[in-house]
Amino acid sequence: MSSAQLEIQLIASLVAIACAIPGTFLVLRKMAMISDAISHSILPGIVVGFFITQDLNSPLLIVLAALTGVITVVLVEQIQKTGLVKEDTAIGLVFPALFSIGVIMIAKNANDVHLDVDAVLLGELAFAPFDRLLISGVDVGPKSLWIIGSILVITVALLFAFFKELKLSTFDAGLAASLGFSPVIIHYGLMTVASVTTVGAFDAVGAILVVALMITPAASAYLLTTDLKKMLFLSIFFGVFSAISGYWVAHWLDASIAGSITTILGLLFLVVYLFAPSKGLIAVMYREKQQKIEVSLLTFLLHLKNHTEENERHVNHLREHINWQKIRAKTVVDLALKNNMITIDKHIVSLTEKGDDFTSQAIDYIITNEDAQIEDMKDDFFLFRG
Amino acid sequence: MSKKTAVQIDDLTVAYNYKPVLWDIDLEIPEGVLMAIVGPNGAGKSTLIKSVLGILKPIAGSVSIYGKSYEKQRSLVAYVPQKGSVDWDFPTTALDVVMMGTYGSLGWVKRPRQKEKKAALEALEQVGMLPFKNRQISQLSGGQQQRIFLARALVQDASIYFMDEPFQGVDATTEIAIINILKALRKANKTVIVVHHDLQTVPEYFDWVTFLNVKKIATGPVKDIFNDDNLTKTYGINYKVSIQK
Ligand SMILES: Nc1ncnc2c1ncn2[C@@H]1O[C@H](COP(=O)(O)OP(=O)(O)OP(=O)(O)O)[C@@H](O)[C@H]1O
Ligand SMILES: [Mg+2]
Repeated sequence: MSSAQLEIQLIASLVAIACAIPGTFLVLRKMAMISDAISHSILPGIVVGFFITQDLNSPLLIVLAALTGVITVVLVEQIQKTGLVKEDTAIGLVFPALFSIGVIMIAKNANDVHLDVDAVLLGELAFAPFDRLLISGVDVGPKSLWIIGSILVITVALLFAFFKELKLSTFDAGLAASLGFSPVIIHYGLMTVASVTTVGAFDAVGAILVVALMITPAASAYLLTTDLKKMLFLSIFFGVFSAISGYWVAHWLDASIAGSITTILGLLFLVVYLFAPSKGLIAVMYREKQQKIEVSLLTFLLHLKNHTEENERHVNHLREHINWQKIRAKTVVDLALKNNMITIDKHIVSLTEKGDDFTSQAIDYIITNEDAQIEDMKDDFFLFRG
Repeated sequence: MSKKTAVQIDDLTVAYNYKPVLWDIDLEIPEGVLMAIVGPNGAGKSTLIKSVLGILKPIAGSVSIYGKSYEKQRSLVAYVPQKGSVDWDFPTTALDVVMMGTYGSLGWVKRPRQKEKKAALEALEQVGMLPFKNRQISQLSGGQQQRIFLARALVQDASIYFMDEPFQGVDATTEIAIINILKALRKANKTVIVVHHDLQTVPEYFDWVTFLNVKKIATGPVKDIFNDDNLTKTYGINYKVSIQK
């Protein structure tokens, strides 16, 4: 592996970490769309900054562009406050306007400016190692590495300092306000970090990858854990994993690095979405199916309890009477047998003592629907669930 | 009664988007009462509490807690928000939510430590939720979530408690458990202000009541002012229900 390759992966990984941290809180605050808005609307900020500094990596440019990001958030909120449109509409109104101002500014000055829309949206990670930072003539590494590294250090420091405040104001802004932790300050702090990260990363990886790195790892992590710290670590892990594997996929396929990373992120989310143990699609579908069978079982047992006469409890009659398809009937009867809830004697089904108990309890539960009782019954009532 | 005034509200007017939802409210809450705030949906009950706690900025009027501004007296006040106001899918545990009650005394940046954890565990014990301390909050029933919120307020160890519908969605057993805790708070000379919807239980649970519907209709001891007349004024319809005293 050449040092340029190493540097690219390092830059991509640092960007991934710097994005995953604010991204986690954006996802929890249901503000994923805002990162999209910020990433586009910083364009005019970048252009103006570039006119002033003539340097895409100047700190002033980062500050100006990040300011545009925060202004975007303010504008969205102001439009939303009028009560005339919803948040997503407000976002949709603000960022195309700002973005197109940026595009016009570039087009008007395209001749003497080394800046184009493609570069802003897609970036070019492959070129990042060529732009070196020289300190009194000594090469200390790629500029983007230093920029994103500094941003990451600040982000991590802020996260450590204000983790408690971020958590509280994200979960319960009302309590945060009543305790004196201004949710407004925390909100704009988070928006500033998201904007600065977006600007700092756009040159290396482009605005689109920034959005993908903010939202996708956090959304995947959200499906896998019920612990905020673990969610942060998982987001970071997914981000870095996609950054590095995306790099190698691009290398082998000779494709765009940003494109490959985004694709890996998408695939990763798909896998998690399908297979996550409790919130995944398959787990949810499986649970729903189990619940259906549970309900059928209960209906079946109730019928048995209600009918003492033998003709009502004949296997064939049950099939007709409860009107199930054969397969489902068989599943339910097998399940009841397996759990020793019924006995079948000469095609006549009867409840066992356990089955009778269970059914009474279940009726009780259905009628009273008391919380405490669910807890008590979880052991024997929910046959499939833990 | 020469009781101290715990909460004093003067000429409070609050609006969302220029539509006033609370109009010129004057309210004096004496120390040591267990007070119900009653009024129909949208009457501004939650808004009133939020304005007292500095969560909303009123367009006019002032609030004082034991004679000083809320900002100076934060540590004396605890808050139980309406249950629906937070996202219960948030990745955190019951214990962690209760610990949030200690954040106020910690202030910015400082992290909760053993002492805060111990206080949170005690509060969980008090509401009978200790066995659930490590449960993710979405896996708690509605009544259990409500108890977690109550524990979070208890851990603040305040003098004044504001609770927005703490009985919402709880079963009879939990309701009794909660009211007993509230009565114990009153016994310790704490002031407890509760938004309450079940009019039948007002005389049994509370000793003070405020009728609210955009304006303040009445406030005072339950035995004096909890009557059909005030109920009718508050709820608009003729309220000839038999409320046993
Ligand atoms: N964020 C908001 N923006 C605009 N209007 C609001 C907002 N919150 C509340 N309102 C309006 O203010 C009025 C009072 O609301 P509030 O939540 O204080 O009522 P409430 O008495 O607590 O009702 P409930 O019994 O339903 O909880 C209502 O008409 C409501 O529609
Ligand atoms: Mg309310």
